[in-house]
Amino acid sequence: MPNDIVDVLIIGAGASGAAVAWSLADTRMRILCLEQGDWMNSTEYPSTKMDWEARQQKEFNIDPNVRANDWDYPINDEESPISVVNFNGVGGSTILYGAHFPRLHPSDFKVKSLDGVAADWPIDYDLLDPYFAQNDRMMGVSGLAGDPFYPPKQPPLPPIPLGLVGETVAKGYNKLGWHWWPSDSAIISQAYEGRDKCLNLGPCMTGCSQGAKSSTDITYWPAAIRAGVELKTQCRVREITINKQGMADGAIYYDAEGNEQHQRAEVVVMAGNGIGTPRILLNSCSSLFPDGLANSSGLVGKNLMFHPVGFVQGLFEENLESHKGPQACCILSKQFYETDIERGFTRGYNMQVSRGAGPVGTALQGFVSGKIPWGSKHHAAFKERFDHVAALAILCEDLPEEHNCVTLDPKLVDSDGIPAPKIHYKLSENTAKMLKHGLSRGEEVMQAAGAREIFSGGPVRPAGWHLLGTARMGNDPQSSVVNNWGRSHDVKNLFIVDGSIFVTAGGLNPTSTIQALALYIADSMKKNLANLFD
Amino acid sequence: MTKEDDLITTDKPLGKALEKQLRGLLDTLIPATEDGVMLSAADIDLMPYLQLHSAESIPMLIQLLNELDDQFASLTQTARESIVEQMSITHPGPFKIVTLQVFACYYQDERAQRGIGMDAGPPFPRGNSVEPGDLSLLDPVIAGRHSYRKVED
Repeated sequence: MPNDIVDVLIIGAGASGAAVAWSLADTRMRILCLEQGDWMNSTEYPSTKMDWEARQQKEFNIDPNVRANDWDYPINDEESPISVVNFNGVGGSTILYGAHFPRLHPSDFKVKSLDGVAADWPIDYDLLDPYFAQNDRMMGVSGLAGDPFYPPKQPPLPPIPLGLVGETVAKGYNKLGWHWWPSDSAIISQAYEGRDKCLNLGPCMTGCSQGAKSSTDITYWPAAIRAGVELKTQCRVREITINKQGMADGAIYYDAEGNEQHQRAEVVVMAGNGIGTPRILLNSCSSLFPDGLANSSGLVGKNLMFHPVGFVQGLFEENLESHKGPQACCILSKQFYETDIERGFTRGYNMQVSRGAGPVGTALQGFVSGKIPWGSKHHAAFKERFDHVAALAILCEDLPEEHNCVTLDPKLVDSDGIPAPKIHYKLSENTAKMLKHGLSRGEEVMQAAGAREIFSGGPVRPAGWHLLGTARMGNDPQSSVVNNWGRSHDVKNLFIVDGSIFVTAGGLNPTSTIQALALYIADSMKKNLANLFD
Repeated sequence: MTKEDDLITTDKPLGKALEKQLRGLLDTLIPATEDGVMLSAADIDLMPYLQLHSAESIPMLIQLLNELDDQFASLTQTARESIVEQMSITHPGPFKIVTLQVFACYYQDERAQRGIGMDAGPPFPRGNSVEPGDLSLLDPVIAGRHSYRKVED
């Protein structure tokens, strides 16, 4: 028996699903969101316990294959040097993200015109600018105005502290004459909208017990629910259903008891991220859409882009108190962000300074690398390293390539029997050169900052946070999946608002841009309500 | 007749003899410091930690303990280190896994954290104080020639 029909059905309650739900609530339409995970309880986050670093390795691991909860779906990533990391629950991956919140740059939308690679977006920075600002206010973003690498913008809150780590590495950048700037962070540096300020706990990436990190379960969702949006948890969507006219008419999902349900809807909005969304679309085959829904271009699941990550760590004589403060956010550099063909690759990367590990992380990394032995020399070696390490992440732009893709695994299934996604990914020569360049420049920074020992490597395997490009946006239905406002070319009442629709990836954390896009698409839907399906 | 201390139960998977060997092994891996600031790993509660976080490593630990001579715990640190060094070569896999768990258990202990200068308790609600940092360090960046790449219409 089908459920009552809703006006809008949103699939996924993460970064983009929350933003689109909140924005569409203006319309007073009946809006329902289905989320396969559940609400989080911040009093149970690892940072409330002494063994937080052990819990980070299992139940709060960033890799769904390690967590292996019933509400996670397994991902076959054997054919990829980078594994997918995510979180399933209200808030999605914003629960565990580092909360880096840079915007894509104006140039990121026009790489074909500027650099002759990939494709231009059908929209630009100026169009998204007001949505970036709206999203910054809704999420609560800390940062410093005046970064010369952006058009003017004003973060609503002052920057999070640099700490000794930030100051030390900043001096290194200054010696080299390179750009750096305090990171835009979705972490509130002051009390904001009923939330208290960051306490510099350190373990942001196990969930924020203080509620200072802006995950959408505590930002958009309370506002959206107050405005009338309904959110059902522990509901896993198997496929989108269509009617005889080829329009989406709802979704089949499994509820918390494992019962199959059919939710009917006038409009379906996909917000399942760059892996989850193509997985559902590819699993929605029918006589009208034998290759998966919205896939007449053949591009659903194709052009998967990560941001391959390298790391550089510097060991310093001084105690940098590096376990204190937001783990991933501090300062970043765009010195090598734009194309310079003399470097031997196209596009570029950003360098993000992060803080050091906690005591357990320091001891384990030290043991594995042979720097902290067991035995009578243990304590001296530990003391030398704990709180004395600063780190840089090299975040490389990945260009779209069709062979990098998501398919359905023929054997692996989730706990409801739905086919799991399989990742096919190879690091391109361009990205490999970029990564190598970044590691060398990162070592230069650490040297200039005074590090007495430097170690580096990459690509880091568990670094597939940014899942982009698998249902890309464009004006031509033959070379894209959705149009310039997120509507499927093939199915006029099907929208996609997550990272799938990115045309290119930029070299930056994408959450800010994903959410600005979701707000823009919601606004476009509102402006076109009278002729939404024309 | 078996003494109660020698019984192996779910919550006490080592008998008395292996308990003694365990103390010796832990004290070898992380001994106390002479000034008493850092405690020995023998004084932390390893077994409950393993049962909660790494039950799969318990059989490996027992395997290693069974390799040790009855007199092991009463040897000097230097002599024990020599034996454990040999063990790390003959049983590299189990030794690495067990040592990682010992390190992890040790440094999540409040007494060890105090010893390395951390404040007591889990990160929340304690929190940390972090210097805001000197934003005048940005002066050369602002004065420099940096600019975002313009997009022509």
